Amino acid sequence: MTMFLIKKADVGKIAQELGREYQVYGPMIEKGSGQTFFDRAEDVAEINLSAPIPSNPPKSVVFPQMERILSYEYDRTKNTVKMEPDYEVTPKALVGLRPCDLAGMLCLDRFFMGQEFVDEVYLNHRKKMFIVTNTCVTPFKQCFCVCTDSGPAAGEGYDLNLTDLGKEYLVEVGSEKGAALAAKLSLAPANDSHLALKKEKVDQSIAMFEDIAVDSKAWVSRVMNRVTTGFVKDDVWEYIGDQCFECGACTFVCPSCSCFNIADVNNTDCAGCADRLRTWDSCSYEGYSRMAGGHNPRKPVEDRRNKRFFCKLSYSQMKKYLRPGCVGCGRCAWVCPGDIGLPNVVTYVRREITG
Amino acid sequence: MNQKPGVCTFCGTGCGHFIGTENNRITRVYPSQNHPVSKGRLCVRGWNIHELLDTPERIKKPLVRADGGFKESSYDDAVARLVDALKKYPPESIGFLASPRSSNEEQYLLMKLARAAFKTNNISLDSDSGHRASLNVLHAGTGMAGMLGSIEEIRKAEFILVAGIDITRQNPIIGSEIHMARRAGAMVVTLDSRRTQIAKLSKKFLQVKPGANRLAVLALAKTIYDENLSDAAFLSAHTEGFEKFRHAFGLLPDNEVSDRTGIPAEEIKAVARDLAKAKSAMVFFSSGISGLDEDTIGFIYNLFLMAGKVGKEGCGVNPVAGLNNLQGGYDMGIAPDLLTGFQALEDTAVAKKFSAEWKADVPAATGAPIYTLLSDPSSKLKALVVVDHDEGIVRYADAIKKLDFVAYIGAFKNPFAEYAHVVLPIATYVQEDATFTNTERRIQYSMKKIEPEEGLLPGWKLYAMIAGKAGLSWKYAKVSDVMDEIARLTPTYAGVSHAKLSAGFGMQWPVDEKNPQGTRRFDIAQAGRKLSFYKVSDVFEVPAAKEQFPFLLMVGKAQHFWHQNNLMKKTHIPMREYNATLMDYPEGYVEICPRSAKEIGVRDRWPVRVVSPHGEMRVDVKVSEDVKPNTAYAPYFVQEMISRFLLGHTEVLRQGEDATIPVRIEKV
Ligand code: SF4
Ligand code: SF4
Ligand code: SF4
Ligand code: SF4
Repeated sequence: MTMFLIKKADVGKIAQELGREYQVYGPMIEKGSGQTFFDRAEDVAEINLSAPIPSNPPKSVVFPQMERILSYEYDRTKNTVKMEPDYEVTPKALVGLRPCDLAGMLCLDRFFMGQEFVDEVYLNHRKKMFIVTNTCVTPFKQCFCVCTDSGPAAGEGYDLNLTDLGKEYLVEVGSEKGAALAAKLSLAPANDSHLALKKEKVDQSIAMFEDIAVDSKAWVSRVMNRVTTGFVKDDVWEYIGDQCFECGACTFVCPSCSCFNIADVNNTDCAGCADRLRTWDSCSYEGYSRMAGGHNPRKPVEDRRNKRFFCKLSYSQMKKYLRPGCVGCGRCAWVCPGDIGLPNVVTYVRREITG
Repeated sequence: MNQKPGVCTFCGTGCGHFIGTENNRITRVYPSQNHPVSKGRLCVRGWNIHELLDTPERIKKPLVRADGGFKESSYDDAVARLVDALKKYPPESIGFLASPRSSNEEQYLLMKLARAAFKTNNISLDSDSGHRASLNVLHAGTGMAGMLGSIEEIRKAEFILVAGIDITRQNPIIGSEIHMARRAGAMVVTLDSRRTQIAKLSKKFLQVKPGANRLAVLALAKTIYDENLSDAAFLSAHTEGFEKFRHAFGLLPDNEVSDRTGIPAEEIKAVARDLAKAKSAMVFFSSGISGLDEDTIGFIYNLFLMAGKVGKEGCGVNPVAGLNNLQGGYDMGIAPDLLTGFQALEDTAVAKKFSAEWKADVPAATGAPIYTLLSDPSSKLKALVVVDHDEGIVRYADAIKKLDFVAYIGAFKNPFAEYAHVVLPIATYVQEDATFTNTERRIQYSMKKIEPEEGLLPGWKLYAMIAGKAGLSWKYAKVSDVMDEIARLTPTYAGVSHAKLSAGFGMQWPVDEKNPQGTRRFDIAQAGRKLSFYKVSDVFEVPAAKEQFPFLLMVGKAQHFWHQNNLMKKTHIPMREYNATLMDYPEGYVEICPRSAKEIGVRDRWPVRVVSPHGEMRVDVKVSEDVKPNTAYAPYFVQEMISRFLLGHTEVLRQGEDATIPVRIEKV
């Protein structure tokens, strides 16, 4: 594998160079509130590689919260319909992606593109993408990627991977596109001692989870079997379901969740015109799984909760994602009004807590 | 980065969010992690607010009536028509129905317009106006016309009573805070006739018979008194009028309490002891659309006062506002008898201060709330100005049709506009800087996110234009000037300005010289007065089921408010969610427990006839464990049901959530 070094002061050059060809996205801190967002950088200098894990999952780049995917015009007199698919094709570069979030995006790839049908809208967002990941040399409070095999260092799927070695970053190349960029920047080569240093940093980071990542202690592997085989008592699910406020947040913030809704909206400026919107949706909503005629296979709220945790924690879902659906980012624990983020659920299932 | 901070404008919780835009359109929303109220959470409504803010269902052009329909017009023409129409009538024939969703600045200017330009005190808030009952009690008792506690302090309360409010549905993020407090060990008790989600999440649930809330609260108070659990030193040092309240205890027939409330006497006593021994305690209730009535709220306040749980950290008697700027509406003087900051209109010094600032006299004649006028067949109301009606149903449609003139001012399409002669569009709340005051008195700044559509005026400019045509000259260069004027006239807002608010997450009033950063909660040390017990009634009639009418039917309005809400109808996902129940029971439903269903011989979704002494209706039954035997629950959200059956019971409905109708339920 080819490896290079880049001085800390120069690391911004990567985003700068990418900015010539790509729309650049990265982690940034909102000044008024101190909240980190993974968002489009109007100015690449805004990108902050030492910012904490972004509050929002980077999935919004490939799967926006609300997106016009089609517009159509129906002409009553001629009885004709004009349809325009509305694909976003601008090439995008993600700079400073956290490893868990990359794992989440790979799950989305497999959901949207790896099955029988390929989702064209997603494909167009994703196809020319350049990805620069950033190893977490320290974890954050709510992290548990170590339990879900998705961090604190990325293993595959990047073009370049950065690791903060102190004074400089180790730059690992993961693709031809990555190699070309490294060449363009004339980076200094790295050697095995740097790789060893990286390994040390990653081991240190893992060791830090005990003291730093205190919000989310989840022993994921212990519950996967039980969730897969359905060997979880009903009253455990009921205890969890009673605490769900049906807000949808856990789905929205999850880097691997892919539920969406399609709605057609009349364009009031033009008779017979309408836009087709795709928006984030959530399996925690009663209306999501409701079918015409009133039949709802997952009516009680505990059944809908059960669906989400099944999706995140069962072996059967692994066939689709080729890994657990949960990538250990801990965001759902941040935003859940019912305090039933995935780590708590894992604890309840594992210890059969029912109240 | 494209993330603009703001406030969710669906309910009175006032959660913080960030809005993303593209090409001058709203495309997304994300919770604000460090916001002191919501701390990174939003509910189903808040998470989908971008669907509303991007709706094409907007009013974009001024419209005037012509040949039975509407024709597009200009602001100039439409405003002239409005002013000419209103000028034809004496003040008592003009009315203003304000929206609890408008910003403080817009509320204030509408209030000023009604009084300074059209000389009328006929002005009131649409929807949820029952909040006034709570403010009356708290203002009389403590001088603070708002929530005494604070959402931020919920986790400091050792005891929390949730009285008659389905809080995880109405104000979900406040419900979440209560749930978090419970998980951290607080004693959370729910007092309700239906088993709500918060009832399931509480440590104790007192399932009270419909209509007996007051009695249950009195029984709690009496236990504290009988067992000598109140803080005598607190009572004598800080309160007055306890003797009068104590009088009520003597009238409580001990042996009947459990029978009439449906709660075992020992359970009531245990909760009273929990309350008394907790170092800090809060109560949440709603006096909104159909929350508790003023008398019951008086009892609740008195209970917490005698228990010594007012004015200390982690304490609070907390009315919950269902709509985002309901509290702000009252703060801005949208009531016939109020000016801003709950200052009494009849106080001549206050009226003089306003007249001097306005350079126009504040009218002295008594006004009345608009719905009172519309329901009174002998009322003189002839012309009505309505702003952003919030509901999908127009009440008193017949009376409105009979008016000579109706003007509708709003940002979103609404069925109310169909009754109007003049329709004036305004910008949405993300198209102008604005402030909103949440249920815990937090005044929050919401920065403009996108430009209004070409030619569209924000509300404050439209009101200034109307005032101009009516002969006044209002000189506001920018919307922040309006807040400066509010601050000059309102002691509780004295230290507020847009510049100060834009720096953080808002400030809780009073914001004044003594409290330049605002006031988190009512503080006994700063009160400078004794707190008075509220004057409550001493008649404890509880509606009783009779032989021919063995069920007590509760009519839930608040719980279903969002089903028929005008804004909700302009979203996709929240609308789908709120309609999920409606799809199972398209004609509405009456909820009874499995035992009652068995006795009547019906199953879920079977039709029944509900018969009361005053009318009858046919609906489907919903069978659920959430109600007790011989009680029934009907949601107030299906138009048909309201007009066919419930309107015949308006007297009962006016009494609020405690309103119950004895009925018979028959299989058909
Ligand atoms: S979960 Fe792991 S990969 Fe994700 S931010 Fe935390 S430490 Fe990094
Ligand atoms: S389930 Fe929760 S912790 Fe797991 S990836 Fe999704 S948001 Fe992150
Ligand atoms: S975030 Fe929590 S409360 Fe909201 S839908 Fe998910 S599990 Fe339910
Ligand atoms: S609780 Fe109220 S303010 Fe908060 S997100 Fe929900 S609707 Fe908006």
